[in-house]
Amino acid sequence: MLLDFFITLLKVLFVLGVTVGFFAPILTWVERKQSAIMQDRIGANRADILGFRALGLFHIMADGLKMFTKEDFIPRGANPVLHTLSPIVALIPAIITFTVVPFGGVYDLFGKEVNLVIADLDVGLLFVFAIASIATYGYVIAGWSSNNNWSLLGSMRTTAQMISYEVTMGLTIIGVLMVYESMKLTEIGAAQESFFDWGIFLQPLGFIMFLTASIAENKRIPFDAPEAESELVAGYFTEYSGLKFGMFFMAEFIEMVTISAIVTILFFGAWHIPFITTASLLSLFDFLGTTGSNLVVMLIHVGVFFTKVVFFIWFQMTIRWTLPRFRYDQIMDLGWKILLPLSLANILVTGLILI
Amino acid sequence: MAYYVNRTVKLTFWEKIYLPEIIRGMIITSRHFFINLFGFIPFLVGKKKERKIFTVYYPEEMVDYPIAYRGRPVLAVNEKGNFNCVACGLCEAACPAYCIDITPGCNSGKQNELERFPDKFSIDYAICIFCGNCEEACPEEAIFMSNDCEISMLDRRKMKYDKEQLATPISELKDRVEFVRNMNAKWNFKN
Repeated sequence: MLLDFFITLLKVLFVLGVTVGFFAPILTWVERKQSAIMQDRIGANRADILGFRALGLFHIMADGLKMFTKEDFIPRGANPVLHTLSPIVALIPAIITFTVVPFGGVYDLFGKEVNLVIADLDVGLLFVFAIASIATYGYVIAGWSSNNNWSLLGSMRTTAQMISYEVTMGLTIIGVLMVYESMKLTEIGAAQESFFDWGIFLQPLGFIMFLTASIAENKRIPFDAPEAESELVAGYFTEYSGLKFGMFFMAEFIEMVTISAIVTILFFGAWHIPFITTASLLSLFDFLGTTGSNLVVMLIHVGVFFTKVVFFIWFQMTIRWTLPRFRYDQIMDLGWKILLPLSLANILVTGLILI
Repeated sequence: MAYYVNRTVKLTFWEKIYLPEIIRGMIITSRHFFINLFGFIPFLVGKKKERKIFTVYYPEEMVDYPIAYRGRPVLAVNEKGNFNCVACGLCEAACPAYCIDITPGCNSGKQNELERFPDKFSIDYAICIFCGNCEEACPEEAIFMSNDCEISMLDRRKMKYDKEQLATPISELKDRVEFVRNMNAKWNFKN
C-alpha cells in the first residue's frame, strides 16, 4: 500500500517536473531561438550571469524574475474574483491532463508491476478531452471579466473556435477508438508495438485532422485569432500582467506538450521503437536479470517517448513560424466545412474497412 | 474611400487542399532552420564567419566597414611622432558645423624645430556631422575620417576631444590615406 503510494508519488513528481519544471520554461527559450534560427537571426542571447550566456538560456530566469516582480494589475470595473480565477482555470487542466498520459509501458520492477501512468483510467481518452474543455472556461472567463472590448472579442472568438474544433477532435479520435478498440491510453499505446500498427498508418487522415484541430485548440498560429496581436492587442489576456500572464503563457506551452504526447500515443507508436519489440529488447538486456533488464528497457522507452514528444513540439513550432494567421471566416470554414465532413467520412471509411 | 480586399483570387485545386502548400512552406522554413542550426556548430567552435546568419553579435563581433566609410575625424601623427597638422585653419573654415577649434602654436625660433603646429586642436563630436569636408580641405594629409563610429557617451562635454585624444598614428590610417589620395587625383587636385 505504502509502496504503491510512493510509486504514484514518484510518477506525479516526474510528470510535474517534466511538464512544469522542464518543458514549460525551456519551451519559452526554444520558441525564441527556433524562430530566430528559422528566420536567419540569432535570437535571445544577452542575459548573462558572470559573463556566461549559455546560448541565452538565462533569459528563462530573467523572464521568471520579471513576471514575479511585476505589478499584479486588475483593471477598474473588472471582476476581481473571476479575473484572478481564470488563469488558474486555464493552467490547472493543462497539467491535470497528464495524469492519464502514459509515458511508458508496464514493467516488472522488484517483483512489482509498474505501469508508467499516474491514473490508468478506463476512459482515459475521454478524460483528456473532458479536462481540456475545462481550460476553455478559463480563457472565456478571462476575456469576460477583464472589462475590455478586445478581451471580450478574444474570448468570444475563443468560444467559437473551441466549439468548432472540439467537434472535429472528438470525431477524429472515434476512428482511433474503432481501430484499437479501447479508450485506455495505455492499451492504445501497447497496441502499436509493431511498426505498421502505428496510428499514422491506420488513420493517416485522422492524424492530420487531429493535429490541425489540436493546434487550433491550443490557439497557436495559424489559429491564433483569439489572441491576434495585430487585431485584438493580445486577445483574452490583454488585461493580465505579472504572474497571471505568466500562467496563461505556461498553460499554452504545457498544452503544447500535452498535444504532442497525445499525438505520439494515438498515432506515433507511443513508447515503441520501430521494428523492435519490447520482448526482443528485454531479451537483449537479459544478462542484467529481470529487474535490471526491465529498468533499462523502461528508461529506453521513456527516452523514446519523450524524443517523439520533442519532435512534435518542434513540428508545432515550425508550423507556428511558417504559416500566417487564418482569417476568422477561414477558421470557421475550415472547421465546419472541411474538417467536420472529412472526420465523418473518416469514421465511415474506417468502419467499412473494419467490417 | 473604403478599401475592399480582393477575395476573388482563383486558387488551383492543388492549392485549395492546403496540405501540399503547407508542407512546401514547412520544407522551406525547416531548411533554413537546419542549415543555420548546423551552421552554429562551427561558430561555437570558434570559426565565426561560416554561418549563414547575417546578424552579428555586435559588441563582440564587428562588421568591416568599407574604406569610404566616414567615422570620426582623427589627427594623423607621422612616423617622427609629430602631428602632420600645420594649424592652417582650412579645416576649421571648411567645417559646416563649426565643431573644429584650432589654436596655432609657435616655436622658440631655434634651428631644427617644428615650424608650424597646433597648440590646441579640438573636435566636438556632439556637433560634428561627419561630412568629411575637413579631410577634403586639408592640404597636409593631417586630418582623416577613421572607421570608428562608437562615440556615444553619457556626458556631452566629454565628446569634445582634444589634441591628445585625436592623435592617431598614420600607420593605422594607411588605407584611408591611399583612398583620399585617389579621390583627390580623381578631382584633379594637386597634392
